[in-house]
Amino acid sequence: MPTFTQEAIATKKKKKIELVGVDLYIITDKGIPQFADGEFGPFKCEFISNRGTKVWPGFVSPDLLMVNWYRCRFMATKPIKDHEVADFLVQLSKKWEWSAAQKLWNYDGEAGYSKAY
Amino acid sequence: MAKHVVTMIPGEGTGPEICEAVRMVIDASGVDIKWEYEDIGLDCLEKYGTLLPEKTIQSIAKNKVALKGPTTTPIGTGHKSANVTLRKVFDLYANVRPVRLIPALKRPWDKLDIINFRENTEDSYAAIEHMVSDEVAQCLKVITWPGSYRIADFALKWARDNGRKKVLCVHKANIMKMTDGLFLEAFREAAKKYPDIETGDIIVDNCAMQLVRNPGQFDCLVLPNLYGDILTDLCAGLMGGLGFAPGANVGDNCAIFEAVHGSAPKYAGMKKVNPSAVLISGVMMLRWLGEKEAADRIEKAMYAVLDEGKTVTYDVGGTAKTDEYAQAIIDKMRAGTK
Repeated sequence: MPTFTQEAIATKKKKKIELVGVDLYIITDKGIPQFADGEFGPFKCEFISNRGTKVWPGFVSPDLLMVNWYRCRFMATKPIKDHEVADFLVQLSKKWEWSAAQKLWNYDGEAGYSKAY
Repeated sequence: MAKHVVTMIPGEGTGPEICEAVRMVIDASGVDIKWEYEDIGLDCLEKYGTLLPEKTIQSIAKNKVALKGPTTTPIGTGHKSANVTLRKVFDLYANVRPVRLIPALKRPWDKLDIINFRENTEDSYAAIEHMVSDEVAQCLKVITWPGSYRIADFALKWARDNGRKKVLCVHKANIMKMTDGLFLEAFREAAKKYPDIETGDIIVDNCAMQLVRNPGQFDCLVLPNLYGDILTDLCAGLMGGLGFAPGANVGDNCAIFEAVHGSAPKYAGMKKVNPSAVLISGVMMLRWLGEKEAADRIEKAMYAVLDEGKTVTYDVGGTAKTDEYAQAIIDKMRAGTK
């Protein structure tokens, strides 16, 4: 008789994984970061959020509280490999201080990452 | 020119009939309000392509105050919740949820009079989630110093302005030492400005148990978003349900007053539902606008109608329609002010 843990492990489903971008958490006191397309390789900044609220592109409420920590979503502009993310981080580190990076994957074609409000 | 201009968002389902009843009562109180009606919700999708039209946002931005009926958030459609978007756009960081005993509801508590202040914009509601492998999902709990300090400061000031004595910070800093630790630290820092208010803290699980055992011991609670979401509904349950639970979402420059219950679409158009939660939210709004005397009169008349039990809605044992209940409150208010 399998244990509950063994049963749980047996139900795991393998999915097709595709690397599609990076969420990068940048620390800056100089306001909303700006990036030129392709500045750090085959990535394009799709949006920037602060405390979960989208602050670029588009309208930012003057009432909005912002802290010095920005989530910058970079989507790949072509099919990419892991080493291109590593190169991207090396290049970006020359200009920006960042606290963490989270790779973005699609799982069986579905986004494994949330959008920002 | 009217003394106050308020954006009225009737919402969906039973929202329009509830808001109409509430408008009747507030207008009958004599407060000079011009209502600007605006849309929200699923009906707007077809008309404007969004749940929250720009016109509605602009009206709230101009008037700085809104009274809102319930809306329906579609599940799994990819559309952002209109309620969450409103909170984000106007940075409505303080969700104020008072609960108190309503004698007609006959609850087993001797005392229940709590004001909950839920931080409304961060915590695990910052929408930062990732599938970090095909077996593991992760959600970032984001707690910031300014986000924590301002809700603490807001709650303490509200407490002082409204004659409350004690504010407790609810947390789980014994386990989440960084996130909840920061929330608690900011609360303690803000509390230094209010030496006349008794302050303290309580661990969230103990708070939940104490609320159920003896809710009369609490005065004001300030909570991070997730604990606040859960415990404010628990408190509504202590009061007797969401039908009497008002709420306000408040920022530095704008406030939206609304009930916390849903739009009950199955009852739409039947004029059956209890408008009390939106009415009490409207009473909170009147106090916000400085119309304390009118707010007190409406509240007193509503409790009197509920105590009599003759013209009340089905959920409190009556047969009155939504507008009949509203009219009974108006009649009571007029009789009381002769």
